[in-house]
Amino acid sequence: MYLNRLTIYGFGHFHDRTFDLTPGLNYLLGANEAGKSTLTQFITAIFFGFPTKKHPALRYEPLDGSRLGGEIAFTQGDVAYVVSRVAGPHGGKVTLRDVTHDLALPAATLARLLAPVDAQLFTSVYAMNEPRLGTVFSASKQELIDRLRHVGAVGSDFWLQQAHQLDQQAEAQYKPQGRNPQLNQQLREHRELTAKLAKADAAYDTYWQLLQDQQTLRQTQQATQQALAQQRAVTAQLTQQAALWATYTEWRRLGAADQAPVSGFAPEDATQLEQLRSHLTASTQTLTQEQQQLKQLQQAAQLPPLFQAYLPVAGQVDPLLTQLPAIAQAAQDQQRLVASQRDLEARATALEQQYAIDGQMPRPFSLATTQQVAALQDRLTVASQKRRRLQQELNQLNEQFQRQQPNRRQQRNPLADKQIVWLAIGLVVLVGSLLLPGTLFKLVGALLGVAIGYYGVFLVDSSTPASRELETLTADIRDSQAQLREGGQLVDDLNNQLDAIASAHGLGDLPVAQWSAAQGAIGEWEHLTRQLETTGTQVAKAQQTVTTYLAQLTQALPVLAGADWATVSPQLTQLQTLKQSLATQAGDLATTTDRLKSAQAAVDAAQQALTTFLSTRNLRSVEAFYQRYQAQRERTNRQQQRAALAEQLGDNLAALQQFSDHTALTDQLAQAQAQQAATQQQLDQTTTRLATLAGQLAHLTASGTQATLRQKLANLETQMRATTQDWLVKRLTSQWIAATLAAASGDRLPQIVAQASNYYGKLTENRYTEIELTATTLRVRRHDGEWREVSQLSRGTAEQLDLAVKLAFAVVMNQQVAMPLVIDDGFVNFDAHRRQAAYALLAEISHTLQVIFLTADTTVEQLTAGKVLRLSE
Amino acid sequence: MKFIHAADLHLDSPFLGLTGLPSSLLATVRQSTFTAATKVFDQALAQQVDFVLLAGDLFDRAEQSVAAQAYLFQQFDRLDQAQIPVIVSFGNHDYLADQHQTVAYPKNVTVLGSQVTTKTLTLADGETVAISGFSYPQRWVASDPLPDFPVHAATDWHIGMLHGAVATGSDDHYAPFTVDELLSKRYDYWALGHIHHRQTLNQQPPILYAGNTQGRAINETGAKGAYLVTSDHGHLQPQFFSTATIEWATATLDAANLTTLTALGTRLTDWLASQPAAQPTLTALTVTHLQLDATDLTSLRQGEWLNLYLRTHARQLKAAHRYLVSVTPQVQPQALTAPQLDQQYWDQGAAAVFTPANLQATFGKLAQEPALADWFTQATQDATLRPQAEQVLAELMGKEDPDVS
Repeated sequence: MYLNRLTIYGFGHFHDRTFDLTPGLNYLLGANEAGKSTLTQFITAIFFGFPTKKHPALRYEPLDGSRLGGEIAFTQGDVAYVVSRVAGPHGGKVTLRDVTHDLALPAATLARLLAPVDAQLFTSVYAMNEPRLGTVFSASKQELIDRLRHVGAVGSDFWLQQAHQLDQQAEAQYKPQGRNPQLNQQLREHRELTAKLAKADAAYDTYWQLLQDQQTLRQTQQATQQALAQQRAVTAQLTQQAALWATYTEWRRLGAADQAPVSGFAPEDATQLEQLRSHLTASTQTLTQEQQQLKQLQQAAQLPPLFQAYLPVAGQVDPLLTQLPAIAQAAQDQQRLVASQRDLEARATALEQQYAIDGQMPRPFSLATTQQVAALQDRLTVASQKRRRLQQELNQLNEQFQRQQPNRRQQRNPLADKQIVWLAIGLVVLVGSLLLPGTLFKLVGALLGVAIGYYGVFLVDSSTPASRELETLTADIRDSQAQLREGGQLVDDLNNQLDAIASAHGLGDLPVAQWSAAQGAIGEWEHLTRQLETTGTQVAKAQQTVTTYLAQLTQALPVLAGADWATVSPQLTQLQTLKQSLATQAGDLATTTDRLKSAQAAVDAAQQALTTFLSTRNLRSVEAFYQRYQAQRERTNRQQQRAALAEQLGDNLAALQQFSDHTALTDQLAQAQAQQAATQQQLDQTTTRLATLAGQLAHLTASGTQATLRQKLANLETQMRATTQDWLVKRLTSQWIAATLAAASGDRLPQIVAQASNYYGKLTENRYTEIELTATTLRVRRHDGEWREVSQLSRGTAEQLDLAVKLAFAVVMNQQVAMPLVIDDGFVNFDAHRRQAAYALLAEISHTLQVIFLTADTTVEQLTAGKVLRLSE
Repeated sequence: MKFIHAADLHLDSPFLGLTGLPSSLLATVRQSTFTAATKVFDQALAQQVDFVLLAGDLFDRAEQSVAAQAYLFQQFDRLDQAQIPVIVSFGNHDYLADQHQTVAYPKNVTVLGSQVTTKTLTLADGETVAISGFSYPQRWVASDPLPDFPVHAATDWHIGMLHGAVATGSDDHYAPFTVDELLSKRYDYWALGHIHHRQTLNQQPPILYAGNTQGRAINETGAKGAYLVTSDHGHLQPQFFSTATIEWATATLDAANLTTLTALGTRLTDWLASQPAAQPTLTALTVTHLQLDATDLTSLRQGEWLNLYLRTHARQLKAAHRYLVSVTPQVQPQALTAPQLDQQYWDQGAAAVFTPANLQATFGKLAQEPALADWFTQATQDATLRPQAEQVLAELMGKEDPDVS
């Protein structure tokens, strides 16, 4: 791009001036205050805008009041443009025209046409003056490097600006040391929330502690509840026992007076007694009635005194009367026994008379003797039998003989000899019977006596038939007689022996044939003697019986006292008879008597039963029984009552018995109650504490503080991350832009540095041959090879370094941006040689780009190259 | 046999990625982890299961949540009353730490120890089940725990519980394992935890992640719940049931031909009316083909517009059961073509800037903030920063030359 014409409407002291420029080198020559700086500023203002009114020194308001502004005609890429700018908002009102195509262009197009050159780049690189060249000393090394780097890339200014904005925005979001940026605030809030949460989290430990407390307390509660239940049971039991104490006392009292139970006083016994008594009373009443009735009857019919005596004691007498036949029998037996005694005595006497020798009864045989006698007798009998048989045979023979001579002789019955005896006995019996009391006995006795006599006389008397037959047996008779004789001798011998025995036993002359009879008689005698004794005893006994009877009778019937059996017996019989007759005849009386008797008997029986009843209980009277019965009943009652009480007391009885007295019980009850109350209180406390704990736990659980804070924190963190991301992306984007610019400029920088070295050599007449520019260093190399830091350079040399770099930049960047170089008196600190060298360099450069050199140095008029314009005309 | 396999209850953990919620939703959100877990336990009671397996991360120990602990006591008590055993293996968030567990869980709860232990249960029908697993003793378990697991026991069933992740070969802190290892144990079921996304690693025998019971961030979208597992002819059949009361969802809204935020608002309202959710859903919306000027775009990007929209359209949002967590305009990726600077310089610049060292240096002191440090690590890993920077640059270029686009 190059400028063709500058038209000033009004700017500083210029007004309505026009400067025509060539595309190459232009010298604008003017003295001081001729407007060199004003013109430089004019070009800047038209292209990039008027400074604001806050900087009036730079606005160059026209001094004569003409219109601020002007226009520049320039050519870029074979297109001619005219830009004009007059005073107006936002740096002035711009008009742009494409002269080649005769087009009006929007004002905004100007910036694009100039891009990437803006005011800053223009002033720092293309518009040079001495003070700006001097900045190389005031600027930090980094700034220089940055500037170099920034001018190294086309369009970098926009990006730099964006990067700068991004950095500013990023700083608004977060600054490591800041307080107010968004993220810093969020971080602070985060820390506060975290602290709050940590505080809320303390509830966690509290929770576990409470939970543990709760568990412990629950166990305690359970244990206390169990203890309380136990104590309640104890107290209830004790209370019950206390309530039952009166009962227990009663029970004890009833037990204290206890007696051993006695049988026989049961209610049924009382009933029995009552029955007996009523029975007795009834019987007595009946008896009394009967007696009265009897009296009445007796008054009507006179009765023998004995009977009258009998009647009252009929009960006693009647058994006696019933005994009467037996007693009569006993009396009869007595008589009979007396008789038989006498008989026996007679018989004994007879036997004594018959066998006694000198009043002495023969002695009985010993056994040996008896055997001997028996043997002898047997032999004798055999012998006798033999003899008798022989005799019989002889007799038979004789009978046969006699039959042939009938009735030769008549044998007499030996029994006939005893007729007298039988008769005698009969007589005795007859006589004896007459002695018996009572007609009947006498009659019987008489008949017996007659019968015995009859028997003796007529029945025993019989004839023994005797036959004789001798004739036919005469021979036998003789033979038998012979044998008979032979046997007679043996018999005699035996008889002799027997005699000897007889004499030895005092049998005297008793024939042997009677011996056995004698022996029997002796036995009989002895028997009789004993029988006598027995009979005597029996008689005595019978007599005793009778006597006793009489005694009893007399007791019952005193009227009969002193009477003997013989007199009594008929009276009794009479009594009986009378009784019987009364019974049969006088019905009423008899009946009454019977009834009286039965009544009497009933009374007696009742009395007896009553007496038995009492005697079995070892009592004297009914009253005693009732006393005892009452006592017994009371005892039973007490026992029942006690049993009922014991039942009422139940299991408590045993427990109550453990207590010595009521005070002990009440003491223990009070103790148990106190203990229960204490336990209850403990339980209540535990329950209260548990409730409090549950409340605390519920509060902790339900508070939701933790959750709320945590969610808040999570939300905040989300925001923080968003902010951080935004911030970081901005920072990175900014860095990215810088890095990209560095990369872009990094390509050109070596060219610029090389070109600058070249130019610097020319400017310094080859005193310095090389510039080194790195990220951290800027130094120059002298021709002798030594390196110099910028700070070690002289002012002029340093300005020459800056100029060399700027020129090199403009030349190198000319491909992208063709901006004229405007140099306002830039070489004032250069010596003459170096100034000439600089002019030569400008002339060289002007082949590549337009150079507008404003100077007061008139020597430029002698220079061959370049168009010279004078500012002051 | 019937049991429930759940994991990652994360009781009382906050929802992530939210900047604010209407108060109507706030209570639901705060209760959501509890509500979800309650649904698991309700299901256990309703189905009268034989036992419940909780494969780790029941709560976040670091959060020291009273509510979580109180809740667990209460729920375990419920199951105890129904005589349902609970087997718990703690994971990386609720790792075993006995400093606080002075009060033990009810007797029906078995907390597996830090070494692999096997718990044998005899069920009501006489079947026996062996359950092997372990609890994390601390945050990380870097070694493969599988060698410690026994082979199938002499029981009717054998179930493994494992909180961990499949080994990737590097940086494995969560009980790294391989599916082959699990299969080699010949168990009837592997109840896995730790990965919040429900997934099946093997069909039969089932090796499953139950996923978490309630999604808590935008990357935990879709139905969340647990498995009800029943025996069927010698096999175990898992059946998923959902528990989450609040869902997370991502959606895309085509904003073609829209140039103003007002128009965007109208289209968004239409979209809400046409896309109602079944239950409260936290929705992250991406808007495509949107053509806004820089100011509007910034307003949209910084959430100012969304906040306004949420305030003014509360009724429509509620009707649609949706809450917009974010509205992100999607800008077409475009080449960075600055007229004066070649692409190669931008690439060179990016290469210089997006180095870990430079990122770290730029992040600077913020690395000391744990919440941000985690995000930074993630962002660095995912390389999300450069695309965002590109987005900014793209916008700046548009600004540089509005006529060019």
